[in-house]
Amino acid sequence: MDEGARPIGLRRIIQMNDVWATYGSGHALRGVSASIESGSNYAIVGRSGSGKSTLLRLMNGMLAPERGAVRVGYDVPDARGRRFRRTLRTIGYIPQNLGLVKNTTVLRNVLLGALPRLGAVQSALGRFPEGEVAEAERVLASVGLGGMGHRKAHALSGGERRRVAIARALMQHPTILLADEIVSELDPGTAREIMGLVSEAQRRTGLTAVMVHHDVSLALEYASRVAVISEGKKVLEIGVDGDSITDFQTGSQSTREAVEAYSRDA
Amino acid sequence: MTPSGNLVAGIIVALVVAASVNLGANPGLFIGGLPNLWIVAEEMIQVDPGLVPDALLAMAETIQMAFVGTMVGVAIALPMSLLAARNIAPAYVHAPVRALLAAVRTFPSILWAILFVIMVGIGPFAGILAIIMYTVGFVAKLQYEVIEAIDPEPMDAVLAIGASRLQLVRHVVIPESASHLLGQLLYMLDYNIRQTSILGLVGAGGIGFYVITYLQFFEYGKAAVFMLVVLASVLAIDWASTRIRDRYIVRPYSGP
Repeated sequence: MDEGARPIGLRRIIQMNDVWATYGSGHALRGVSASIESGSNYAIVGRSGSGKSTLLRLMNGMLAPERGAVRVGYDVPDARGRRFRRTLRTIGYIPQNLGLVKNTTVLRNVLLGALPRLGAVQSALGRFPEGEVAEAERVLASVGLGGMGHRKAHALSGGERRRVAIARALMQHPTILLADEIVSELDPGTAREIMGLVSEAQRRTGLTAVMVHHDVSLALEYASRVAVISEGKKVLEIGVDGDSITDFQTGSQSTREAVEAYSRDA
Repeated sequence: MTPSGNLVAGIIVALVVAASVNLGANPGLFIGGLPNLWIVAEEMIQVDPGLVPDALLAMAETIQMAFVGTMVGVAIALPMSLLAARNIAPAYVHAPVRALLAAVRTFPSILWAILFVIMVGIGPFAGILAIIMYTVGFVAKLQYEVIEAIDPEPMDAVLAIGASRLQLVRHVVIPESASHLLGQLLYMLDYNIRQTSILGLVGAGGIGFYVITYLQFFEYGKAAVFMLVVLASVLAIDWASTRIRDRYIVRPYSGP
């Protein structure tokens, strides 16, 4: 029923092979490989400046690798390219500061997620089809902001803003959700509520979530895989299944301390 | 002050004195001229109340000119500001548009008024055109600076999901830059009413025409009526725009 949410059709929905990339000053990746399973929750942790955000920007083609290959489904990500546009529409992206338009309403922020599938002329007039508005209201209700559509985005609390950003991404009917530290700076209770929304959306639609985290314990709690990035390299990748943690690189079992040691800011 | 600071200060003082001597700017003349000011003031005090209705009508004309000029000018300036913003338009668009706007801003409105009086003749229309030109040059610059300063994150977020440039402008750039627009509109209207008050000096309509005419005939008392009406109007507008600003301008927001 949901055209946008069709699975891209590969078990490994995102693949990176020996990727080198530079973004901003010093946020460089030096030979990272990763393979992300469709429908999973994949967490990336590491110190500030280790290259976590760079990794996300490679996945939606906002950044091109200098060396190595990135594949999303069968496509090479390129946010500016025409060929990738259809796939890009269904890749939700929440940047670190959420990227909400502060001076407009919650509802219009959520409707931004519908823009890629609307005609250029129609959306240039600033009107949205009734169906889209109704859907945006439904999505808002599903993230716990029912009836708040008319509020201005700048008047919301931190938790509410994150809900709006998630609703905007869900409006895209996403197959992949890329989220950059969206629960840092929240109190643990609110952070869990937000993570719960993502999990619920994953159960409902089967979307793949790739989330950068500052807090290791949240990553271990919600993700099935946790990659640890340090100085542009993936130094550890572990699988999480309940309380059992497996280090895929060394086979060692006591890795929780190792994850924390690598990702803690010096 | 350091020795080199003293040297710089000394050089500046020397230059000011040298330039003043060159220009014949003699402070003694200023002191000696004070009694003349007294004579003018005495004549100005003899205000002719019969002229108040004329002055109010002339002020109404001035305000209408400034209003039309400001609104049309802003309407032209907004699309130009988008084309001039470095974070929206490509270099081959923003560079020529910025150059054009800079050229427009080079002339003060009184020079534009002279040009338009030659083009369309004496009267308020020439004044309106002059105000439009000045407003376009000025508001477009203010507005493209606002656009260049808007938070790049929402733009990034919308481009990252495959929205078009046009959609970006309509749904992110306009809402994010609109909060400054009311303030600029008020400021420009306020400023243009003052400006329009003197455009009459070159025959471009408005209350300034009366002021210059009476001054030329040494009718200081009559000119004073018109000048007082300008003063009162400007004060009233200043008060009103401060009230509107306080009431409607959006508070800044910080953090994610």
